[in-house]
Amino acid sequence: MLDINNLHATVGGKEILKGLNLHIGEGEIHALMGRNGAGKSTLSAVLTGNPAYTVTEGTVRFNGKDLLGMSPDERANEGLFLSFQYPVEIPGVSMVNFLKAALNAKRKYQGLEPLSASDFLKLKREKEKLLEITSGMQNRSVNEGFSGGEKKKNEVFQMAMLQPCLAILDETDSGLDVDALRIVAEGFNKIRTDKMSAIIITHYERMLDYIHPDYVHVLYNGRIVTTGDASLAKEIDDRGFDWIEEKYND
Amino acid sequence: MSEELLINNSEKVEVELSAGEQRQIRLLSPRNLHLTIHQKQGSDLLLHAVSLADEDAHISINVFQEEPDCTTALYGLAFTRGKQVVNIETHVFHNVGHGKSSQLFKNVLADDSRVSFYGELKVLPDAQKTEAFQTNRNLLLSRSAKVETRPQLEIYADDVKCSHGATTGQLDANALFYMQQRGIPKEQAQRLLLQAFLEEVVQTIPDEKFQADVRRQINERL
Repeated sequence: MLDINNLHATVGGKEILKGLNLHIGEGEIHALMGRNGAGKSTLSAVLTGNPAYTVTEGTVRFNGKDLLGMSPDERANEGLFLSFQYPVEIPGVSMVNFLKAALNAKRKYQGLEPLSASDFLKLKREKEKLLEITSGMQNRSVNEGFSGGEKKKNEVFQMAMLQPCLAILDETDSGLDVDALRIVAEGFNKIRTDKMSAIIITHYERMLDYIHPDYVHVLYNGRIVTTGDASLAKEIDDRGFDWIEEKYND
Repeated sequence: MSEELLINNSEKVEVELSAGEQRQIRLLSPRNLHLTIHQKQGSDLLLHAVSLADEDAHISINVFQEEPDCTTALYGLAFTRGKQVVNIETHVFHNVGHGKSSQLFKNVLADDSRVSFYGELKVLPDAQKTEAFQTNRNLLLSRSAKVETRPQLEIYADDVKCSHGATTGQLDANALFYMQQRGIPKEQAQRLLLQAFLEEVVQTIPDEKFQADVRRQINERL
């Protein structure tokens, strides 16, 4: 469903991705590990079309389409979802209006009529129940005044509402304590379907105790240098990244 | 709130709020207005100045708290476009003590339009225990729009709480991208952010009909 070929990208004139290749099949969970600055978050920014980043070389196909030629909203409506490392606060825009706008934009993109108010409410309640979210959060402005845990929970809730086919979890574990991490990860597992794929970006193995990856990749210097299964994440947890970097230093 | 007064296009208007009187004043897109309001003891003024027309405008709001325990709340919003020029002046005078005043003026500027906000706040020596706040926030939608904001605080009493703040910026690029990542097209995301920006003022309008009218006029300009 996702094919990244020889991807090069820059931010502020500096090359961060230097020929990245990655293939993700339907229903697969891929963990992407690596130190700060390795290019993990750059990859998520480039895939979602963040205008601060420039692709200088390479191709990305998403469900057979040219992903890089699409606007950020088109990419989202094609089924790409990013759980942000730092979810943005939007004062004055209520969660409900925001979710309605997002859902109906997707439906319009698919050639469907907007959801009726009652169908929207039904869907919202169903997902709130599934994720054990109190609806109080939804009456506030988007992410405004939310705690770190609430923000990440809210990302997973939006994911549940929008039902993407590829979700990127960008350091969802950062800034969360053990309990909050467990709740968020379990929430993700609840909304996951057999067809949904995911990229889990993380520094630590902890997240992968809850969301079991099919593949673990290590990103170093803008490229994936090694790929393994869950045992690779364990090894990194024990030994750090040094041994990998020494091996692949160029 | 007892009385309301809707001023559309008078040039010079004087209003007096008698002791204990509560009054709302609504200004809907005046072109050239010099409004003077005298507040007597314990009176309570709530004023909304809305500029949503396509003409140039000059609005001057002058409030004199002449007796103690008065409350003044001034709210303003303007959405300018084209080559429009809108000047807004507020002059709030705390002549005596125990008065409260607050001001919130928010402006959205598109195209080549210009807005100037001049906010004079004077707390005279006898006006102890005054609480006075002034905020002016501006959002520029184009590179050629220009805003000039001049808060002017003069405080001659020592036991007072006063503050002012002015900001001018553009739509939050991070918020725009966040909304687009959820599938909302850019133009719609911009509209939502603009509505949210002005809503802070709109939601303070107590009259539902006027409030709905202001919302409709804002949406027409989006």
